[in-house]
Amino acid sequence: MTAEHKTVRAMHPGETIRSAFPGDLYESWDDVCRRLAGAGYGNVVTDSYLRHSPELARLASPQAAIVLATIVSGLAIRAGRRAAAVAPVAAIVAAKRYNDAASLQEWLRLIEQVGDQAPESAGALLDQTASLTARLDVHALASWIRIGLRSNNGEPERRLRFFTLEDPNARRWLLRESGEVGFLDLEARLKPYLTALWGETPPMRETPANAPEQARRRPGFDGSVVRLPAAYPGFSGSDSEKLYRAAVAHIGAHLKFSHERFPVGGLKPAQIALVSLIEDARVEHLAMRELPGLARLFTPFHAAEPSGTATAPGLFARLARALADPGYDDPDPWVQKGRRAFFEAEADWASQQISRRIGDLLGNDLGQMRVQFDPKNYVVQPPYRDDNLGLWDFGDDDQQQSSEAEQVLSSARIREELDDSRPPDRTETEMGDAGGCVELIEQAQDGVLVARYPEYDYVAAREQPEWTSVKEYAPKAVASGPAARLVEEHADLVARVKALIRSARVSRAERLRRQPEGEFLDMDACIEAMVARRIGEAPDHRLHGRYERRSRDLSVLLLLDISQSTAEKVRGSTRTVLDVERQSAALLARAMAGLGDPFAIAAFCSDKRDDVRYVRIKDFNQTYDDLVDARLDGLESGLSTRIGAAMRHAGADLACERSYRRLLLVVTDGEPSDIDIEDRQYLVEDARKAVHHLNLFGIDTFCVGLDSNADSYLGRIFGQRNAITIAAVERLTDLLPKLYLTLSR
Amino acid sequence: MHSTSGAKSAHDPALDDFRIDREPYYRSVGHEVALFQAAYGARMPVMLKGPTGCGKTRFVEHMAWRLKRPLVTVSCHEDMTASDLVGRYLLDADGTVWHDGPLTLAVRSGAICYLDEIVEARQDTTVVIHSLTDDRRILPLEKKNEVLKAHPDFQLVISYNPGYQSVLKDLKESTKQRFAAIAFTYPDAAIEAEIVASEAGVERPVAETLVRIAQRSRNLKGHGLEEGASTRMLINAGQLVAGGIALDQACEVALVLPITDDTDMRDALTAAIAACL
Repeated sequence: MTAEHKTVRAMHPGETIRSAFPGDLYESWDDVCRRLAGAGYGNVVTDSYLRHSPELARLASPQAAIVLATIVSGLAIRAGRRAAAVAPVAAIVAAKRYNDAASLQEWLRLIEQVGDQAPESAGALLDQTASLTARLDVHALASWIRIGLRSNNGEPERRLRFFTLEDPNARRWLLRESGEVGFLDLEARLKPYLTALWGETPPMRETPANAPEQARRRPGFDGSVVRLPAAYPGFSGSDSEKLYRAAVAHIGAHLKFSHERFPVGGLKPAQIALVSLIEDARVEHLAMRELPGLARLFTPFHAAEPSGTATAPGLFARLARALADPGYDDPDPWVQKGRRAFFEAEADWASQQISRRIGDLLGNDLGQMRVQFDPKNYVVQPPYRDDNLGLWDFGDDDQQQSSEAEQVLSSARIREELDDSRPPDRTETEMGDAGGCVELIEQAQDGVLVARYPEYDYVAAREQPEWTSVKEYAPKAVASGPAARLVEEHADLVARVKALIRSARVSRAERLRRQPEGEFLDMDACIEAMVARRIGEAPDHRLHGRYERRSRDLSVLLLLDISQSTAEKVRGSTRTVLDVERQSAALLARAMAGLGDPFAIAAFCSDKRDDVRYVRIKDFNQTYDDLVDARLDGLESGLSTRIGAAMRHAGADLACERSYRRLLLVVTDGEPSDIDIEDRQYLVEDARKAVHHLNLFGIDTFCVGLDSNADSYLGRIFGQRNAITIAAVERLTDLLPKLYLTLSR
Repeated sequence: MHSTSGAKSAHDPALDDFRIDREPYYRSVGHEVALFQAAYGARMPVMLKGPTGCGKTRFVEHMAWRLKRPLVTVSCHEDMTASDLVGRYLLDADGTVWHDGPLTLAVRSGAICYLDEIVEARQDTTVVIHSLTDDRRILPLEKKNEVLKAHPDFQLVISYNPGYQSVLKDLKESTKQRFAAIAFTYPDAAIEAEIVASEAGVERPVAETLVRIAQRSRNLKGHGLEEGASTRMLINAGQLVAGGIALDQACEVALVLPITDDTDMRDALTAAIAACL
């Protein structure tokens, strides 16, 4: 204890600290420091508190700094040392933002609460302090945190996604709490708007927060994606909405009328900007020929007015207005010239070359007028117009450009989940509590042995007990993979499945005839009864009919094969078999969630009999959401196909479900195999045995084989009626939900 | 007259209500009239495929008028049984009495029988038409122990919307293969505008705007809407305009609200319509 105390003193010369903690408070501070040092949280935590608490005391109050010690200690115990070490730094950020005592006190309480209720997320929350406190006042922050704590069913992984803002819902709530209207609020309306105006269009994305400033302020597009700013700060709710609509309509006009990219060649930045500007006006005018109402949308955003000094951005904005707004007159000869040239070319508007020609012309004039153009700080005006990068072909740089674009666009990169939270100083192992969760995760990465199952040896005609070991592996979550992109890439399929579900739901009411009681008379039965009476027979008294809803009582487990062969590309496509599996599973999951049937998804592969790998992607009691999609996207192909063991394990799961029908739906792409088995027949026979066993327990099995040669052995395993093979793997996405609906009827 | 027991004359008064006296408006968009006439000449069963509201029913009415045949229309639904089509015994004071169903009526007296939305009917119901649609051209009335030979003028027409429901509700392969099919889609913009102008009684420019609006909502097919606005809906909107309603309001009432319940979708559609005006 005394040794620790000395270090504390040595690190902080008494006077400065005494000034921060006047009077008795110094003793209290000294006391909490010693307690922290003595609790064995490690030097990182103690140092951080020692270093930052005096500053907090000065910024806010000494009391707050002392309260912080309790919170740091609580965090160290529950959330780990990293969170505890970050807390004092975050507290200073918060204190600078919330400069009244009550707000800071509330903030500290919130951190304590998150540390208690969602320890895994505390670190993530503290990491975001700067951006969160800048956007939300403390009450809004409190309500956002409350939403995060409540809305995630107490599942740590989900909460972590929320507090790291990976969950789009988290970002949406954040927008709502901050009172801005942003892309996420409007996304659901903008997408159909763009499609309605222009037909098939590329998907829309929010510009990620790590994109360069200019890209974040303006929309943009390339062939594959439309990128929109997360929000337009400074615009009111209804203006924002109009702005987004205008942006979308404008980009749609580009997609429709800007057919080729202009080569950059030796053009100067000012010329590029001008050609883009003329091209903007050209596509808008063409669009307005078809959709005259767009003028009402675009024109109000052109607010440029003639001003004294002629700067390039000012002139550009005025020219843009002169070209868009017929009621606007500009005294500047350059703007007038541009306008004249543009409208004289009206007959040639269909050709993209006029933009190039007029842009070049105006660019030269601008050079002669000695107006300076600063490309670094130039932002297109009005704000709904895009940055026009999509209009230009950068020649050799194109590759780089597109890869950069890719980087910008694939929002929210893969984050190796939880890895960050591992404290750097792992050698100190006395920290039982905080280390606990880390160890668990490491174990999960190796797989946890959960069960042993017998395997059937057909040569000996007996089951070898406890022959295979099934290990469960934690699923990885990867953002914006094929499963997450399902809706964008296969909107038609999703819609069709939705419609299927609706009809499957509504057509469930069935008309039962010849019932002893019911809501209507069964005409045929009545007549037969009367006939019977007249001939003197005893009539059947079951004359009624009624409608009855056949209730669905079905649980399904979808088991995906992710062995090495699924890494192969589907013929004639850039997608792998696993990609197709992911999307099919995501689509099927939507269907099943829509029907309200309980379902689970798991994947398997194997590395000899003692390591049959089983990945739970969704359990029966979890809800289907984008975490499930992310986990599907996180699957990796590898190893072999020991299907029997995987089915036994999946069957054990299904057996716990209490529904009338239980269905195990297996998707596999090849013959069962494993590297420790040479006899091709062996695993087929074992799988067949496993299926028999499951059937005995009332679990139905069905298999979809993604291999045209699979007929023989799949039929052997599952029975001819319970297996189908599809040669064109791509069809799986379409087929799986249909198959499911047929099976579940 | 070649029909068996109980053959009635082709001028059966029971069929008077089924005759079409005035020419129903139909704007031909391709060769469908000639195709249908040729098919009728061979008494070949015809299947009309196409989205809702594109003019299938109107076309059949028009052809029935042109061929001067009575038209017996049956809207199929999922509770329809074979006896609803064929007929059944009913009771009266003296005993049971047979009552022809609409299909039997048409077969007996040589009308065109039009089964609208045939996929809605259950598959066990639709098989009763099998014997009528091959070279036998007979309708067995098993309850009555009678085999009814079809009147030489009889023809069967079905309509069918190959939309989204077609997976769970699809025609059997053995049913499909008995028919010649004519595919309908929404007509080209100019023709559609002509139809809207004529049917709704609005000026040509209004009709053209309505057609442009329809294109916007058809773009959304498969992206939130199951079907875009049909020609029928455009005519409805046009009629409201002709009745003095402002165009944007008429579109809202006739083209947006009926088609979707999703507020975001409604919002997007309304904004897209605003862009057309």
